[in-house]
Amino acid sequence: MDWQLVFAILPQVVMDGLVLGFMYALIALGYTMVYGVLELINFAHSEIFMVGAFVGVEVLLLLKAGGILDPLNPFLILILIVLAGMAVSGILAVVVERVAYRPLRGAPRLIPLISAIGVSFFLQDAVRLGVSLWRNAFYLTYPSFAVFNKRIELGETVDFSVKSILVVAASLLMLFALQFLVTRTKLGKAIRAVAEDQPTASLMGINVNRMISLTFLIGGAMGGAAGVLFGVQYNTINPFTGFIPGIKAFTAAVLGGIGNIPGAMVGGLVLGLLEAFAASYLSLFTGGAFGAEYKDIFAFSILILILIFRPRGLLGEVVRERA
Amino acid sequence: MSERSGRPVVVNLLVLGLIGGSAALVWVVPRSILAFMLFQASLVVVYYAPLSFRAKMAYAALGLGLLMPVLGTHNGYYMEVAIQVGIFVALALGLNIVVGLAGLLDLGYVAFYAVGAYLWAVFGSPQAGKFISATFVTFPLAPGWFFVFLVLGIAVAAVTGVLLGLPVLRLRGDYLAIVTLGFGEVIRVLANNLDKPWNITNGPKGITPIERPPLFFEPALRAVGIEASPFTLYPLYFYFLILGIVVVVILVNQRLEHSHVGRAWEAIREDEVAAQAMGVPLVRMKLLAFAAGASFAGIMGVMFSAKQLFINPESFTFLESIGVLAMVILGGMGSIPGAIIGASVVTILNLQVLKGISLWLNDLRNAGIEIFGYNLANLPSQFEPAKYERMVFGIILILMMIYRPEGIIPARRRRLERFDRGHEERPAP
Amino acid sequence: MSAILLEARRVTKRFGGLVAVNAVDFTLEEGVIASIIGPNGAGKTTLFNVFTGIYHPEDGDVLVQGRSVIELTPDRITALGVCRTFQNIRLFKNMTVLENALVGMHTRVQLRLWDVLARTPTFGREEGQAVRRALDLLDVVGLRGQEDALARNLPYGDQRRLEIARALAASPKVLLLDEPTAGMTQGEAQSLMGFLRRLIREFGLTILLIEHNMRVVMEVSDRVTVLDYGEKIAEGRPAEVQRNPRVIEAYLGRGRATGQAAVP
Repeated sequence: MDWQLVFAILPQVVMDGLVLGFMYALIALGYTMVYGVLELINFAHSEIFMVGAFVGVEVLLLLKAGGILDPLNPFLILILIVLAGMAVSGILAVVVERVAYRPLRGAPRLIPLISAIGVSFFLQDAVRLGVSLWRNAFYLTYPSFAVFNKRIELGETVDFSVKSILVVAASLLMLFALQFLVTRTKLGKAIRAVAEDQPTASLMGINVNRMISLTFLIGGAMGGAAGVLFGVQYNTINPFTGFIPGIKAFTAAVLGGIGNIPGAMVGGLVLGLLEAFAASYLSLFTGGAFGAEYKDIFAFSILILILIFRPRGLLGEVVRERA
Repeated sequence: MSERSGRPVVVNLLVLGLIGGSAALVWVVPRSILAFMLFQASLVVVYYAPLSFRAKMAYAALGLGLLMPVLGTHNGYYMEVAIQVGIFVALALGLNIVVGLAGLLDLGYVAFYAVGAYLWAVFGSPQAGKFISATFVTFPLAPGWFFVFLVLGIAVAAVTGVLLGLPVLRLRGDYLAIVTLGFGEVIRVLANNLDKPWNITNGPKGITPIERPPLFFEPALRAVGIEASPFTLYPLYFYFLILGIVVVVILVNQRLEHSHVGRAWEAIREDEVAAQAMGVPLVRMKLLAFAAGASFAGIMGVMFSAKQLFINPESFTFLESIGVLAMVILGGMGSIPGAIIGASVVTILNLQVLKGISLWLNDLRNAGIEIFGYNLANLPSQFEPAKYERMVFGIILILMMIYRPEGIIPARRRRLERFDRGHEERPAP
Repeated sequence: MSAILLEARRVTKRFGGLVAVNAVDFTLEEGVIASIIGPNGAGKTTLFNVFTGIYHPEDGDVLVQGRSVIELTPDRITALGVCRTFQNIRLFKNMTVLENALVGMHTRVQLRLWDVLARTPTFGREEGQAVRRALDLLDVVGLRGQEDALARNLPYGDQRRLEIARALAASPKVLLLDEPTAGMTQGEAQSLMGFLRRLIREFGLTILLIEHNMRVVMEVSDRVTVLDYGEKIAEGRPAEVQRNPRVIEAYLGRGRATGQAAVP
């Protein structure tokens, strides 16, 4: 066991884990907020995330075709596409709720879940259809920016790209903004009231439908932002890129405590770090038998273990079935 | 029955005419997908027609036992469609037990199918020789072992079902769904990566060539004067094997449903706390549901391997799990005829309708037709309707949940219908 | 001295910081109709849930015919002869009346999987017997003729009766009824009580009620136990309990108990 190697790559692994973790945290917020108000696993959220990524790449490609991509400040462009992604994804999430979930409010729990799965699949092919017709391809690549790809070195073995820092910084910013919204504003309080007890909230004069739509808007926007950042970070996207990150982000939300917003952040970071560790160290520790390809199973195993042994997650409350 | 003395004759003639006529049409115009769909629809009509049970069975035997195989030899593609429908009917019936009867939303059902498929694929091909030394046994096993593995597939899949069920027993509905999804993905990743340290599944390259069951009846056929090549014989062989298994699966399903087991499952679906308080052993019943559902997928997996001659992890993804779920939901959760209809409709949609649209579109493209000033020859080549199964599944799931969650043939109505019609014995509850 | 069918020894059930049931002792003798009463939130249903295995007590023990059952799952306890109804009716709504009753018989059906799959003669016999017995039970509760109605379409009173039939199907020795007369008129409640007495005679049952209807409790019970805030505060014959100042105080407040008139 080459312990020297283990420690040498540790900072890099941590950095990778943080980048991954913040992205998962952003996506997990969408899952956890929707689950908080509707007790529904919004399966389609992974596609909301994916749509954000496509919005980002489309804007960039359009700018490029118009010749105005290069002269503009890359950081400005980044802000532009993130905002665009947030807007489109947020609105899409609201539309999805209106069309596919609201008619099923009050139905037994599995019914809206199945509808959500349907929306997820529909969106995958809908995006594929649209992009195929528009660009005759559905694997798209983000144009890259030299300044983003520049690497900063920190000591001998650790280096990370500027875009990693941007992803982390952008995520942090949005997480703080959301936390502020939810805990310090009247709107946030209304959302929390609806999550806590819908009938009472409506008796208190809160427009429950509007709060639910707002929840979807915010969660969707977070997912869309994560999508753009994902595209910037990993470059190639396709209509099916949402699926695996979606499940992992949901795992993160459950890990932190579903319905709990700080929990989603914590869960995302923990999962990201665990996954980075698995990816880098698994083959070292198993003598090459099981390598990084198993990192997905790693995330699924965590999900299964949590749901069996500590379903309330790290920060969640115990929920009990009353007889 | 006296007031209906004239009716049965007319109905019988109509049904016979419909089935025979559509079959003849298919024979004459073998390339017409619409004609074949008409023939398939005529078989559905048999189900709804006001005929005695015996008459319906006779027509089903005629249509499925004679006409379909004949049409299948005339146009091999229809044989393929019929075989696929048969496989998915069995899968849908299996998932119907887990989701429809017991109310456990299993999103990873394809894992059991994969287990059965890989079971035969590994031992019925040289693959097993790559990790088992050849001192006692050489691989592939003799083709006759296929039949043993059909039974083995049931057992192994059932055990896998129990292993999956054990940890998820206490999980609530939506969490159970996600965990089963995870399991399905785990199986897929395992299939994709178990080529080292020992090469069990051969990874993404898949396994081939896989043995087919022996044509043991060939000498008998030749004695009667029928000379047929394996090329024509094998599709028929598989068709009848699958048909036979489907019939058994339907029987098993019915018998389970109309017994204390089926009632226990439905009670668990309705209110598991109350069910347990009434003496229903939750653990045992849930595991039984998983095992039963899994076993149907397992045996069909073995069949699939032998038919395809080549399998790889790409056939066993989340898409397939959701496909089977869409079939059960479209047809009607907890309803046996529902599962059959659902599987048939969805498979035909994917294999025939989408493909038909693709072909039609290609014809239009080649002819350079214009719609609203847009020349279809300009349609991007990447646009291939045949591949849009996800959209089909998605729309089915959403629309069914909103407008008809009980499915095309709801479970409850059928039972009351049979009782109302009076000439059926009161069914066992 | 009759056998003690159900016994609770210092049973304590906590939910986080809340003590729902606090060191309660309870015995139920064979052939008796006993009632548990107390203000809302006193822990009565929680106690039932502990008896039937739905909750696991933090402390204490529950014995059915002398055998400890706190480690058993509810279905095992039902097999031992204790069955219950629920405060909010928990029928299997999309199943028929007959099917609901048949589910109750699950523990009594002696069939192996093979019998079910192969439809052996044993299957025909057991199923036939089960259906006949279920129909008899429906007859007893007055639901004969409605076997094929869906449980969710029944009127409220009939649903309550179906719940009782379902519980009886498990051939219990002890029947736990959680607020069986809730939502009934006085007349309906009286007839239900007459019916319960009949059950005791015909089936040799022992009955334990949770009830809020005081007239019913006083008329029908051999013994009454009073809970308040999770503790047993009184126990005895109905007339004694009725006069107990602590009981009156629990229900009506301190002033009444000492004889002072309520403040206008």
